[in-house]
Amino acid sequence: MLYALMGLGLSLITGVLNIPNFAHGALFAVGAYFLFSAIHAVGNFWLALVLAPVGVALLGLAIEYAGIRPLYAAGHDYQLLFTFGLSLILSEGIIVVWGPIGFSQLPPPLLRGGFDLGFIFYPKYRLFVMVMAGLLVLATWLFLEKTRYGAIMRAGIESKEMVSLLGIDVHRLFTAAFALGAYLAGIAGALTAPIRGLSPSMGVDMLGIAFVVVALGGLGNLLGAIAAGLIIGVAQAVVALYWTEASVAVIFAIMAAILLVRPQGLFGIR
Amino acid sequence: MSRAWLAVLAAAVLLPMAVRHALATEIWIFAIFGLGLNLLLGYTGLLSFGQSTFFGAAAYVAGYLLKHYETNVFAALGVGIVVGAVSAALVGYLCVRRSGLYFIMLTFALNQMFYFIAYQWTTVTGGEDGMPGIGRPALLGVDFRNPLAYYVFVAALFLLSLWIMQRIVESPLGKILQAIRENDVRAEAVGYDVPRFKLLAFVIGGAFSGLAGVLYSMLFGIVPLEAIGFVFSGNVLFATLIGGSGSFYGPIIGSFVFIWLSESVSVVWERWPLLLGVAFVIVVLFFRGGCVEAWARFWSWRERRRALAGIAQ
Repeated sequence: MLYALMGLGLSLITGVLNIPNFAHGALFAVGAYFLFSAIHAVGNFWLALVLAPVGVALLGLAIEYAGIRPLYAAGHDYQLLFTFGLSLILSEGIIVVWGPIGFSQLPPPLLRGGFDLGFIFYPKYRLFVMVMAGLLVLATWLFLEKTRYGAIMRAGIESKEMVSLLGIDVHRLFTAAFALGAYLAGIAGALTAPIRGLSPSMGVDMLGIAFVVVALGGLGNLLGAIAAGLIIGVAQAVVALYWTEASVAVIFAIMAAILLVRPQGLFGIR
Repeated sequence: MSRAWLAVLAAAVLLPMAVRHALATEIWIFAIFGLGLNLLLGYTGLLSFGQSTFFGAAAYVAGYLLKHYETNVFAALGVGIVVGAVSAALVGYLCVRRSGLYFIMLTFALNQMFYFIAYQWTTVTGGEDGMPGIGRPALLGVDFRNPLAYYVFVAALFLLSLWIMQRIVESPLGKILQAIRENDVRAEAVGYDVPRFKLLAFVIGGAFSGLAGVLYSMLFGIVPLEAIGFVFSGNVLFATLIGGSGSFYGPIIGSFVFIWLSESVSVVWERWPLLLGVAFVIVVLFFRGGCVEAWARFWSWRERRRALAGIAQ
């Protein structure tokens, strides 16, 4: 479900802005670290969980406005280099601010412990994350599907020229899409923190997976990204049961195998 | 022989006098790597963000042979070139059918796949610690453990690579690749099998990356995990772009600037990738077009000023 969240955000950004966002993983990591600091600042997990992703979204807003906007006309090569440089800055910045050693973050007291299901012991917090991520995906989907702004965003994926001809400020649309994508990455990171702990390299690991999800789901295909995120998550969990070391490499192998048969991705049309 | 070639030759001779031999060697190795990328980026218009796949794979395989069997240097180089080309063929086969963002994402994702294989396959690659203990066997009585001897060897191989690459880009094949860059739909319409030519460019680029990878492993005596990581792919891309991907000699200039830059910022601060990231952003926002274009712009500005001065008189 977290993969779906990451993939959805990235798919939105790549689809609407048509740029390769290599800072997406770093935004994910920043979300986790923001949560960590926010908990220490406000002393409340729930408030921190609200604040941290908003912080990431604001960061995304600033990045888009200052950095990506001047690059719309430039080629993918420079956009790539920019987001890649940004990802270096953010992940090294994390080390500078929070130190190179990772942290562990406990879930809030309410969600500690787990349910004994008889055959398996399932941690409460994981269940919470699953539900939470599911709700977020649903909310994002409803937003995109049912609201006016969502419709504009989807139209932006289809045809930017047409949208701007209809008198909509495309630049503002781009900024909004980037901020929303950053928000989703940030909250995914924040939710992950109590499960896997925090480490400066957490973003890079996630970045590859997010790209796989987008590639499989089809570029700019939001529903596809959700489905691909679920498939990848389940596949990884299953592989991890039998061959733990290979579970990450297998994701990419699955992607390669699928693309061999369907080069446009599972749900891609283009 | 053209002026550019003379300049390159002069640089090859003068460089070891100016900087440490190891650094000078690294510059030429990186330049070979960049030449391979530039065939894709500058001549075919393919933005590959996974060049370290071929570099790293070749470095690991050839490094393994050198470490455990003390293979002949030429055999190791040959194996590395083949590994680079074959891995590029595999990756390329999956990628060339897509274009634009998709293509970039795929090269990156497959790069990550190779990275995680190297990361987890610790018995062979050493995982995060890297694969140390790679020797530099002597060749024809020349002891390559001498840094200067190894420098000369690498510089000679670089010049050879440069010559071969020039032949490639000036050949009919090179022209076809440039036609694909300019307009792949039209190239297809004229009757060229575009995906096959793109794949061919990939394979050639991979072979150059492989050569660079082997030389790199022999230079440092170790294959670090980073050699196959995506940051490395980003670095060579940056080097090629700051050199100017539109120009044949761009990657050489880029390699100079990049290695020099990373060397000098790495002594300033432990967190030097941050400064490197800042450099990326600055270059992208303000110096697009790279050194070659910046130089050309400076030159035309000077010429204009001279002309204006002439009119004023």
